[in-house]
Amino acid sequence: MTTTRPQTTPAAAPVHRYPRWRSRQLLLGAAVMLAALALPFVADAYTVSIASTAIVLAVLAMSTQLLTGIAGLPSLGQAAYLGVGAYTAALLATVGGVSNGLVQLAVAAAAGAVAAAVTAPLLLRTRGVLFLMASFAVAELTRTIAAQWSSVTGGDDGLHTPPVTVWPGTPPLRSDGYAYLYLLGCFLILVVVVAVLLRSRLVLALRAAADHEARLAALGYHVNRHLFAGFVCAGALAGAGGALLVAAHGYLSPADLGLDMSAMALLAAAIGLGTMRGAVAGAVLVVAVRDLLGTPTGGHAPALLGLAFLVVAYQPAITDRLATWKRSRQR
Amino acid sequence: MTTAMTTATTAAKTTSMLRLDGVSRRFGGLTALHELSLDLPAGARHALIGPNGAGKSTLLNLIAGTLTPTTGTIIVDGRDVTRLPARLRARHGIGRSFQHPAVFQRLPVAANLALAAMPGRGDIPGPISGPQHADGVAQVLDAVGLTDYNRTPAGQLSYGLQRRLELAMALAQRPRLLLLDEPSAGLDPAQIGQLTTLLTNLGADTTILLVDHHLDLIWSLAQTVTVLHHGHHLATGTPDQVRADPAVRDAYLNPGGHPNATATATATANATANANGTERLAPRTSPGPVLLRVRQLRAGYHGAPVLDKVDLDVHDGEAVAVLGRNGAGKTTLLNTVAGLQPVQTPTRLEWDGRALPTRRPHLPARAGIALVPQGRRIFTGLTVREHLVCALAAHRGADTPSQARTQAWTVDRVLDLLPALAARLPHPAQRLSGGEQQMLALARALLTQPRLLILDEPSEGLAPAVIAQLTQALSGLVADGLAVLVAEQNLTVATALADRIIVLDRGHIAMTAPARDLDQDGPRQHLQALLGVSGPTATAAADRVPADDAAQLTGAAESGLR
Repeated sequence: MTTTRPQTTPAAAPVHRYPRWRSRQLLLGAAVMLAALALPFVADAYTVSIASTAIVLAVLAMSTQLLTGIAGLPSLGQAAYLGVGAYTAALLATVGGVSNGLVQLAVAAAAGAVAAAVTAPLLLRTRGVLFLMASFAVAELTRTIAAQWSSVTGGDDGLHTPPVTVWPGTPPLRSDGYAYLYLLGCFLILVVVVAVLLRSRLVLALRAAADHEARLAALGYHVNRHLFAGFVCAGALAGAGGALLVAAHGYLSPADLGLDMSAMALLAAAIGLGTMRGAVAGAVLVVAVRDLLGTPTGGHAPALLGLAFLVVAYQPAITDRLATWKRSRQR
Repeated sequence: MTTAMTTATTAAKTTSMLRLDGVSRRFGGLTALHELSLDLPAGARHALIGPNGAGKSTLLNLIAGTLTPTTGTIIVDGRDVTRLPARLRARHGIGRSFQHPAVFQRLPVAANLALAAMPGRGDIPGPISGPQHADGVAQVLDAVGLTDYNRTPAGQLSYGLQRRLELAMALAQRPRLLLLDEPSAGLDPAQIGQLTTLLTNLGADTTILLVDHHLDLIWSLAQTVTVLHHGHHLATGTPDQVRADPAVRDAYLNPGGHPNATATATATANATANANGTERLAPRTSPGPVLLRVRQLRAGYHGAPVLDKVDLDVHDGEAVAVLGRNGAGKTTLLNTVAGLQPVQTPTRLEWDGRALPTRRPHLPARAGIALVPQGRRIFTGLTVREHLVCALAAHRGADTPSQARTQAWTVDRVLDLLPALAARLPHPAQRLSGGEQQMLALARALLTQPRLLILDEPSEGLAPAVIAQLTQALSGLVADGLAVLVAEQNLTVATALADRIIVLDRGHIAMTAPARDLDQDGPRQHLQALLGVSGPTATAAADRVPADDAAQLTGAAESGLR
């Protein structure tokens, strides 16, 4: 009776299972990369524009994940820094006449970092739900400023921006397909930056701070200084996302930095269960549910997103049940 | 103001490592620690003892910088650190452990140590540094015996290993002053032996100040001892002086002077496997029919079973103690019976002749099984009175066959049994001392009108006097015919309560014996072997078994890391 259940062999299993799992992941990554590259050549313009939106949200989701999943600071306001970056890029393009996308990207990231550094002393006094609410308040304040300060931001009418160029002297990227490939390239650059960041001592200390701040302080670490550095990094990343948003749409209005933007980024981070890869996948999923499935379901995208939120919340229970069910079938 | 200079300071006044000058701390209206002065020379081994709620942890937190003192100054190695934050005190050479093991739960073991040993840890974020640093971490991992776990998240380690990791983290900082808050709590006798050896072998360049209730550890390690009581300084001196002090005996070692309490308190203090001469506190009637029947129990967390083929009967009115080392599966067994832990086939659980529902803890609770969990699990937001009302209300209207048999538990009857709670009724439960919280957890369980009371490590982290009170209360319950299933590291408490002991070893039942048989040599030696205390006392075992290990750890912590 006790022997009928197939148990995994105890010692041998992990040894040869690990590399197979690793190579499968590499294969999956390559496949996703190829599909992303091939997209503008096989899909219609609408799908490509949705994919552009997904890339912007993926950058914002990585920024949110750095705070939420790694440093243990649940943020519902990363759209504020996205907005600062986006308006910086847009003003650079319209008023400053700088059409180079990469310059816009760098300056927008710097602006996001500065905005994060200015607001951090206020936000880092709080933790948990209070941090969530404080970050939400900062985002709403930023959106209000963007709407009211119409001499600079164009108010609710928004700003139209010219297409970006990649290199001085090259023609601007007018077609959706090229703009999408430009976004994909920028996204890969940011992914590499994030990957380097994830291996840094800073991120190790951020993870530790999320687990036990008092222990970290007792080891001699200045906890708030590390959280500040992490917060500024997240702000820079969100600011870079803002530059991509402007490049993707050629248009920017206060609506782009509303609550739903922050909330979708937080949802994507939550779907990602604390990992960066998961946050990117979550962002793609969220945009796909909202924009691709929203039309055939008669505009019930918010309901679908709500459903996605519930699935994430019940994910442990669901996997648990599935595992029990699988085991009972094997028996 | 009390002034207490340790006797050792006369010789080494010039190399004072820690000096407290009139240090006190108030929380609102409550003075947790009255003005205290203390001087520890470099290399001292000083212990802080006292009943639960005496202000010991407060004092450690004041020295470590987690709290700031209301009055007084703290001087560490010649520098006034009174106003420094915890991180700067850490850099000044203060290392500490916390009362509950403070490790970074989600990070792998190696990363925990890497953070602790980070060269120039602090302000400039940069890449995780080079190979010589990785070597140092690997060396410490090897020395603490955690190499196999280096990729395991620290939160998945057993309690004993988490304590080990935390101590290794503190040592990796190479502290000059090491503060330890109850390092032996939750460890089994063999692990306490290892801890004693490890601390004994630390070099003289580390000064140790430790708080603990395990008196064997204190007497064998400490050169000087300070006793606190209700935030007041009671005595400071050598272990012999302190043991002889009548005030200390009254406050800590055996308050009340009740003969039974005395026997338990002093015997308990030795928490060794010495079951000789233990007297049963409760004269017993013969147990009734089988109340709980466990057959072929198999349970675990991630596939691999923690328990396998465990058979157990608990009769009505019988007290059974579950013994075993940490990680043997004691808590899993108790949680399974209480319905908190899913079981795997082919487990059969029967209660009073019927199948016992699992994974729905409210059903066993209604059927008459009450659990006093490890670590008490007090509702932090509620007052003592609210706890009691809540427990009583949950059971109103439920089917309680015990009421027919015995008198039902009411708040008044519970307060009669546990008078310490009566004075604390309006207080928030998280303000209670550890002993009072344990009493509250017991009261909460009794008010659900149980026929079987399950206790998981009831004496953990409690002062000897409180353990004596608790043991007496529990013995009274057993004598009144309540069935009890108790897991306990403290063998003296276990044998004082139980009719029968079962010993778990790596998920299987390794031994079953009537408690009275432990007076005989054969069963006692078998038990001691299973618990990892192969000598007559824990200290003797400690000297032999893990000495190499400990020496390695201290060596590596001191040499390998920089």
